[in-house]
Amino acid sequence: MEGRTGDDASLVDRLRRGEPRAFEELVIAYQHRVFGVALRMLGSRAEAEELAQEVFLRVHRAIAEFRGDAKLSTWLYAIASRLCLNRLTSGERRMVRAGEETLTRLASGHASPADELERSELEAALHRAIAELSEERRIVVVLRDLEGLSYEEIAAALELELGTVRSRLHRARMDLKDKLERFLP
Amino acid sequence: MTCHDAREWFSALVDGTLSADEAGPLDGHLATCAECRRELQRFRDTVALLRGAAPVRAPAGFVDRILEAARPAPWPRRLLRGLFLPWPVKLPIEAAAIVLVSVGLVYVYRTTPELQQSVRLESTPPVVTETPRLTPEPSAPSSLREKNQPPEQDKAQEQIRSMEKKTADLRDAPRDADRQKAVSRPAPAVAPPVGGKVEAPPVEAGRGANVPEERVRSQAAPASEPRADASQPRRPATAPSAVMSFAPPDVSGQLAVSDRDAALRGVAELVTRLGAVESRRVAASDGTTIELTIPREAYPEFVRELGRLGRWQPSQEPASFPVQVRVVLRIRG
Repeated sequence: MEGRTGDDASLVDRLRRGEPRAFEELVIAYQHRVFGVALRMLGSRAEAEELAQEVFLRVHRAIAEFRGDAKLSTWLYAIASRLCLNRLTSGERRMVRAGEETLTRLASGHASPADELERSELEAALHRAIAELSEERRIVVVLRDLEGLSYEEIAAALELELGTVRSRLHRARMDLKDKLERFLP
Repeated sequence: MTCHDAREWFSALVDGTLSADEAGPLDGHLATCAECRRELQRFRDTVALLRGAAPVRAPAGFVDRILEAARPAPWPRRLLRGLFLPWPVKLPIEAAAIVLVSVGLVYVYRTTPELQQSVRLESTPPVVTETPRLTPEPSAPSSLREKNQPPEQDKAQEQIRSMEKKTADLRDAPRDADRQKAVSRPAPAVAPPVGGKVEAPPVEAGRGANVPEERVRSQAAPASEPRADASQPRRPATAPSAVMSFAPPDVSGQLAVSDRDAALRGVAELVTRLGAVESRRVAASDGTTIELTIPREAYPEFVRELGRLGRWQPSQEPASFPVQVRVVLRIRG
């Protein structure tokens, strides 16, 4: 597992000192990544924004608990992933399903013209295919192929064995290959 | 290696995590299996499709909303939250506050006599307004007494009957512990009406069989008007003293004398000699009424000495005397 980079270390130190500017820098640096994980896991922008906000607030409150033996980004992804999975397996699952249905509807051509322009058919199909994956496969493929984490980072973030990460990732990719068949060259 | 086995390594191959030992057999299979090569290509394209997906961007204003939410609350709110929201902290603090306030109240009460006095006043039984006793011959039936009284005393006699009726009512009434306590306590008197004319001295005070001397003395100074009584310990007959606390004496009677002044001096000497305490004296044109408390053992001698001073006619005497006998003595002559 990779340790903290110099920038991370400096940012963490400043966060621990309670510098408001440091927290702002953290949010600016990671907002899109955290929001992206949340959106791809939950399917709803409102839900994703709420969850991403919760991720940053937890980091703000618990920065003292960050041990520093992993990258700051990995810690953020770990918090985001855990919150997403908790929400998907909790009583809020119905609402999330509704969000997924919204995403599916958008992908299936029932979205507004503006949405269609904004999102290509391929993108919509990709989102829909990801949304149809099981949660445990979805989070692995999101972290690996959409967010670019290494196997080790994924294993650390999700507290999984490396072999489990490999297996789930492979299954997720195979599923997506079948679902996206017609978009492949 | 079968096709199925070969395809299990596709992810590792694409990610470059395949070891040389694993890569060899896979390469060998792919070299001979066109279907697996096509499948591998589709697999690569799928991963490329995923990795080429447009990045998601957080909505506008997202950073500001987070910074706003993370901003610490104003210190009063944080203080309140810290003090009162977590119940493990809140409950002990509130309990301690209640105890402190209670202790403070008790301390203030104990160190403030005015407060204690006001509490006593509130718990005192209703004050009975008495008319002065003129001719104490209550042992005789009222009809007989009326016949024996001179006609000029009719009006005063009426007042006496009224007072004695109240006395009898109080004595006959069942006395619970609280009432007994309340009666034995120095009963406050209501301030007399200004300019009220008193025909005869009212001598009725708290019934204090076991009342200590201090308390007996205090009976002369009712709680509601301590300053007024302190300045006028011996109220003249013309003073407005018709309203008094109601507590019947143990003994009441009349001492008929030829020389009232000499009798008064004699009684004063008796009081001093026998260790009695004179708590009230009211002089009127037709007699002087003295209220005093005398020790039980000295009471027989007191009666004997009264007999030397004049003709002592007790109107009431109890079967057994308390330790401190309250006597209302009316000297006529």
